Amino acid sequence: MAERSKSCLEKLNRMKLALSHQEADRVPVSDFFWSSFLRRWRQEYGLPSDTDIYRYYDLDWMQFNPNLDPHIKTFEILKDTPEEVVVRTGFEAVIRKKYDQAMPAFLTFDTNSIDKMRMFEFDDPWDPRRFFSAGDDQINGVGDSFARNLPPFVDRMNAAWPDFPVFGGVCEAHETMWRIVGSENVMCWMGEYPDEIARFAQRIHEFALGLLKAQIKAADGHLDGIVIWGDVAYKKGMMFSPEFWRKYFKPGVKALIDEAHSHGLPVIYHGCGNVRKIFQDFIEIGVDAYNPLEFKAGMDVLDLRRRYGHQIGFCGNMDVQLWANGSQEELKAAVLTKLNAAKGGGFIFQSDHSVPSNIPPSSYEYVVKLVREHGRYPLQLGGYDLPEFNNENSRHSGYAS
Amino acid sequence: MSGNKDLYDAILNGNAKQAHAATQAAIAAGAAPMELIQGSMVPAMDEVGRLFEAEEYFVPELLLAGRAMKAAMELLKPLLSASGQKMAARVIIGTVKGDLHDIGKNIVASMLEGGGFEVIDLGADVSPETFIAAIEQQQPQIVCMSALLTVTMPAMKLTIDALKTSGLRSQVKVLIGGAPVTMDYAKEIGADGYSENASGAVGVVKTLLAGA
Repeated sequence: MAERSKSCLEKLNRMKLALSHQEADRVPVSDFFWSSFLRRWRQEYGLPSDTDIYRYYDLDWMQFNPNLDPHIKTFEILKDTPEEVVVRTGFEAVIRKKYDQAMPAFLTFDTNSIDKMRMFEFDDPWDPRRFFSAGDDQINGVGDSFARNLPPFVDRMNAAWPDFPVFGGVCEAHETMWRIVGSENVMCWMGEYPDEIARFAQRIHEFALGLLKAQIKAADGHLDGIVIWGDVAYKKGMMFSPEFWRKYFKPGVKALIDEAHSHGLPVIYHGCGNVRKIFQDFIEIGVDAYNPLEFKAGMDVLDLRRRYGHQIGFCGNMDVQLWANGSQEELKAAVLTKLNAAKGGGFIFQSDHSVPSNIPPSSYEYVVKLVREHGRYPLQLGGYDLPEFNNENSRHSGYAS
Repeated sequence: MSGNKDLYDAILNGNAKQAHAATQAAIAAGAAPMELIQGSMVPAMDEVGRLFEAEEYFVPELLLAGRAMKAAMELLKPLLSASGQKMAARVIIGTVKGDLHDIGKNIVASMLEGGGFEVIDLGADVSPETFIAAIEQQQPQIVCMSALLTVTMPAMKLTIDALKTSGLRSQVKVLIGGAPVTMDYAKEIGADGYSENASGAVGVVKTLLAGA
């Protein structure tokens, strides 16, 4: 195994300082990218089809998931045409991926009754195939793109390890549950059979904890952090009651965070939508940074910094709609204003979810350059500087919500 | 609430079996279908909407109330058809082309049915041509479009433009919604209305119809 590069060690230090609310040399920047954006970017810039955007822009961290599917299995191909593929995956869901559409369609879920949910079994989270074998899996393979027989998790992670901080990943209970039984069943059964959903959430979190422990062991000291994937909210608020989340989901998420922390691994929690009702809970259970902070859902990094101070870090919040349609002046105003949240560290600059194909590559590049230029400490934000976020002040706790 | 309390409570509590039973009993006792809809079901869904806005009800409660209401409507729709009575207005709803998200759209459809409207759900990934064909066939007063992705939002404008091209634009009011959608965007693309959530959609539809 190659040594870590000097650049990587600088990035590690940058991420470590940011996540511990200290100012490094500059604000870290990275992102998650749609495959359709990457195709557009390579095409418009005349780049080879295998150009790695993380290396091209020397971004500050990368994320890899092992096989997180409940059942380790090869995709069952039900239909395969030049236009689309239909597969049954290790979640026992049938998914159609049309290649000209951004997202796949979940057609059916085999686990479509309470009895089936009760009987659902998980393959061993410690199965070495999850980490050391090539194969198919839904989380990595069926999304905005379709990929089969991915290289082993450890190989993918170790290929990046010399040059990038690498984070592993695990799904919390809701993220796994809806993929097994379908979103509508999760929501309806929460109302009709809350105890059953609670029991299943507990079982899923036991599985997730196993996946996390096994992943950390398999990575053999090469992970620098963990992302917990966990959507529980939408534009206006929580999908289900905060009380239900606190009682039946929060303990499992806390256990994942505690496990990561016991290995010295910081946790970035990814949860879409407006989570303001449980944001204090995420602080309480030790999330190191919250992602993606969807701007369109009313999450604003400056408002959050005012409210919570440096009790939690932030990762995200650059409005992709502005990024897609804004002028350079508008983009500069947004970027430099948001960088106020990086005073005193605690901010990783990223999109407010992922970079979609309608963002012009030139705009993507422009924003990264702005962050590089104006995100160097001490921050010089000119007319966009907001003294209320100055370092001394920003270290005070925010007022309670 | 002056209507049928059993039916009202069943919908409010999201109990489809009780809603079905209460409707059956009410019909047997001679209650008129429209009286049950306007007197019990619409008020129940109004209260569901209010509780959702107040963040006391969430998606599970909305879905279950919608299912309860559907269970009641299963018994009432044939009776309404037989008597030639119509719901307040006809609504066509769909998620636009390229977008497969439907849970939000489904909740809006439920709330609109609960609001006393006839709803024809075209599903997800609905092309402008499919919207046009449905409008020509069904003659709705309202068209609702949903999109959850910034890359699929443009299909809303394409559909509105297709309405103009086909000469149907003036026959319908267009309401849009979805995570990336805003009031400004609605104005920009020539939609008639925007709702930021499912419960608000009912009020917007009523406002659009009142101004028609």
